[in-house]
Amino acid sequence: MNPRMTRDELLRRGAAGVTLLSLPGLLAACGGGDDNGGGESASGGGGGGEPNDVLNFSNWELYIDTKKPTTFQQFKNKTGIKVNYFEDVNSNDGYFAKVQGRLRQGQGIGRDIFVATDNSRFPGLYVDQKWVEKLDKSMIPNISNLIPAQQHPPFDPNRDYALPWLSGMDGIAWNEDLTDPVTTVDKLFNDPKLKGKVTVWGEMGDTLGLVMLSNGDDPSNVTDESFDRAIKKVEKARDSGQIRRFTGNDYAQPLARGDLAACFAWSGDVAQLIADNPKLHWGIPETGGIIWTDNMFIPLGGSVPTASTYMNFVYDPKIAAKIAVETGYISSVKGVKPFALKLDPKSGNNPLVFPDSATLAKVHQNDPKMLSNQDYITKWQKVQGQ
Amino acid sequence: MSTAAATVSTSRAGVGSRAWAFVKRHALTVYAVLVVAYLMVPIAVVILFSFNAPAGRFNYVWQGFTFDNWRNWDAVPGISSALWTSLEVAALATLVATVLGTLMAMAIVRHAFVGRSSTNILVFLPMATPEIVLGASLLTLFLNSTSVFQLGFVTIFIAHVMFIVSFVVVTVKARLIGFDRHLEEAAMDLGANEVTTFRKITLPLIAPAMLAAALLGFALSIDDFVITYFNAGSTQTFPIFVWGIARVSVPPQVNVVASAIFLVAIAIALGNVLWQYRHGDAQ
Amino acid sequence: MGAFLHRHRSLTPYLLLGPGLLWLGIFFLIPLGFLGYESLQSGVFPSFQFTWEFSNFSNGIRDYHEQFVRSFVYAGLATVACLLLAYPLVYWIAFRAGRWRNLFLLAIVAPFFVTYLVRTLAWLNILADQGPVVGLLRDLHILAPDGRLLATTFAVVSGITYNFFPFMALPIYVSLEQIDPRLLEAAKDLYASPTKAFLRVTLPLSAPGIVAGTLLTFIPAAGDFINAALLGTPKQTMIGNVIQAKFLESLDYPMAASLSFLLMGAILVTLLVYARIVGTEKLTG
Repeated sequence: MNPRMTRDELLRRGAAGVTLLSLPGLLAACGGGDDNGGGESASGGGGGGEPNDVLNFSNWELYIDTKKPTTFQQFKNKTGIKVNYFEDVNSNDGYFAKVQGRLRQGQGIGRDIFVATDNSRFPGLYVDQKWVEKLDKSMIPNISNLIPAQQHPPFDPNRDYALPWLSGMDGIAWNEDLTDPVTTVDKLFNDPKLKGKVTVWGEMGDTLGLVMLSNGDDPSNVTDESFDRAIKKVEKARDSGQIRRFTGNDYAQPLARGDLAACFAWSGDVAQLIADNPKLHWGIPETGGIIWTDNMFIPLGGSVPTASTYMNFVYDPKIAAKIAVETGYISSVKGVKPFALKLDPKSGNNPLVFPDSATLAKVHQNDPKMLSNQDYITKWQKVQGQ
Repeated sequence: MSTAAATVSTSRAGVGSRAWAFVKRHALTVYAVLVVAYLMVPIAVVILFSFNAPAGRFNYVWQGFTFDNWRNWDAVPGISSALWTSLEVAALATLVATVLGTLMAMAIVRHAFVGRSSTNILVFLPMATPEIVLGASLLTLFLNSTSVFQLGFVTIFIAHVMFIVSFVVVTVKARLIGFDRHLEEAAMDLGANEVTTFRKITLPLIAPAMLAAALLGFALSIDDFVITYFNAGSTQTFPIFVWGIARVSVPPQVNVVASAIFLVAIAIALGNVLWQYRHGDAQ
Repeated sequence: MGAFLHRHRSLTPYLLLGPGLLWLGIFFLIPLGFLGYESLQSGVFPSFQFTWEFSNFSNGIRDYHEQFVRSFVYAGLATVACLLLAYPLVYWIAFRAGRWRNLFLLAIVAPFFVTYLVRTLAWLNILADQGPVVGLLRDLHILAPDGRLLATTFAVVSGITYNFFPFMALPIYVSLEQIDPRLLEAAKDLYASPTKAFLRVTLPLSAPGIVAGTLLTFIPAAGDFINAALLGTPKQTMIGNVIQAKFLESLDYPMAASLSFLLMGAILVTLLVYARIVGTEKLTG
């Protein structure tokens, strides 16, 4: 018996099973090529001109209304533009990694709108590198509905490039079955009963923002000392085994199933989780929370008229209210509250979705200089062991 | 007397060692079964939970049996295009890599040429390089030549051919080394030229090895995550789709697709086994 | 065409090699060259300059030696675990399985057909704190009442072991399978006990398989990051996690590139040492 034949046999058996699958694949490949990701955007690039009849929109998961008639359906009825919605933003850095190649060479990414969070270095990067198109404000009269607090963000002081999509708040979620209420960062980091059942975010702005506040420092104005103080606090909790992991959105499942007793969590996420599991609670820490905003950008090659038309549409308070109510995140559009109360009084009265000035007083924004400081970034990654 | 005693003690020793041999023989079998069970447990869990009807977003607690996930397997946006992309890339890359690799294997085994050992090393190197280095370095190339290569299907295809070729060369090489050249020589003596000989004698005989290499390559391509992750741009293959969606919650449809790939592969493999069993071991 | 090939015999190997070599040259060697160039750059994204920054390498070792060591330790542990788990299994398959042989071989490779990530996620499910396995272990007092399996070194090494098991098992099987049964018969005829026959005949003859399996398991395991990311805590991060984060999160390409080369270098050194110990023929043969 030829031993090598046996190995072939073995490899064949071992790796067998997919010959049949390759045939349709081959045929498809002849006609195929890139799907949603590739080449120039289907729409024409640049400003001026008529909107297309298709809008390609990249966004985070669970960030849009789903009850019929959805706002996308309403948009189509009103303008005739169909929205191709892609929930392919899983992280700011992940999305950046996906698109930077093309943008660097001035190529489109197949999208007219994508979204990036302002408490990361990326909005600043996109604008500085000129990888995004300017908005056509003449097609966005509803821009006057933008709340004053959002009118001059540091990465785009004149709102030439981006408009807010939704905002959220950073806080602490806990499971009442596993712990008494966790309302301070210090309790989260020091309560021995929570040991190994706590997570914090891998995002520097979110986690260190909350930690700085618990140290009495200002996250909107970061110094080397306040940064180091925050880092040390997190390191201590990590070394003691209190913090189990650094997460992205993936704290939700372990929290829901009881692997975690308490963790840093985003307001809208938990609003949705509580629907499944009423034992979960969320609150802004006593020392203060962080508020962040996801912004809509038009990438190079995206169709400015089409994108601007859509942005104008979602800045209608009635539309904005529906989106905010169904996602549990905060809108930046003036006058949404009355419409929200009509749609869902409970949500309309929820200060976490429609914050009053008392709630807003408790939350702060991250210092953009901290977010793009390479030294800080390296130190923060080291805390995570990488 | 002493003979009888000797006989008795010999037979007792015989029973003892036979009993021990019995235990040992079956202990190994039990062990084998246990290890296989350990290997199968996650697969069973994956398949099982593809039939789960989760109440909320998460699919970790068994709630109820349903076929819905299988019926609506493409209800999750992006999952079907990710799957087709994976299959297309795998098919194309395997095809190209098998051809390139077979040619290289033939050159290496049958010809003594300058640089042969360097070629051997060059072919071996990708297998000795961690995937993360392969993926990241290729990304560097693509980012520095975006006028030629745009991240997407093409770059994934290129990356896959690159890492599959080495496996093909090694597999086909092994077969070629044991190849009986006399058959080819006989064909040529009978008047066939190089090309005909290759087509009619060599190719059919190394075909099983090429097939094995191709199947291995296909499996590697379908499953690849790290190298693809770095070089995919916005395009999604199935593993990349899973990674993205695992950040939030894994819907049962992911289990469905993973189970489907698995079951098709196993079905064909089992079919192969049965066919061999019935037609006798041709080899 | 046949005539052309006949006349230019000496060209043939180069023609055959050409396409493949070209592909590897462009898409393997040149990228490594780019990576090397990048490893000597400095600066902050997106403006890097080439400054012969050899300090990237020394800084890499200084700052991340912990992860380097850990990667090799974990990979080593997983390789040994694979070897110990796999050997008896494939021994049984090669010598005792009879007509079940192919089925069991299939079972070894089967996990390979479920996407890597999906099967690792399945382990997350199985070993969950509130799941049956941990519950059982707590009841049996093998685990402390609030002990856990996930987010531990054990989980990471187990994950690596599970995922690379076929790479160890199959090469050993191949070499066991090639052993001429007459040799074992001869050993028996010469009054060798089964243990002795194993130690003196089977084990040495399966050495090439063990060598191949060890390499095929250790090398990818050392660069893995998925198991550490999903199943571990920050205290279990491997060098793969660092490299991945440097490329994709910190956007610190020079450091990422230098760490990649350091990893490759470390693996090659390990390979050379290993080759020394076991003899080079077994490696490339």
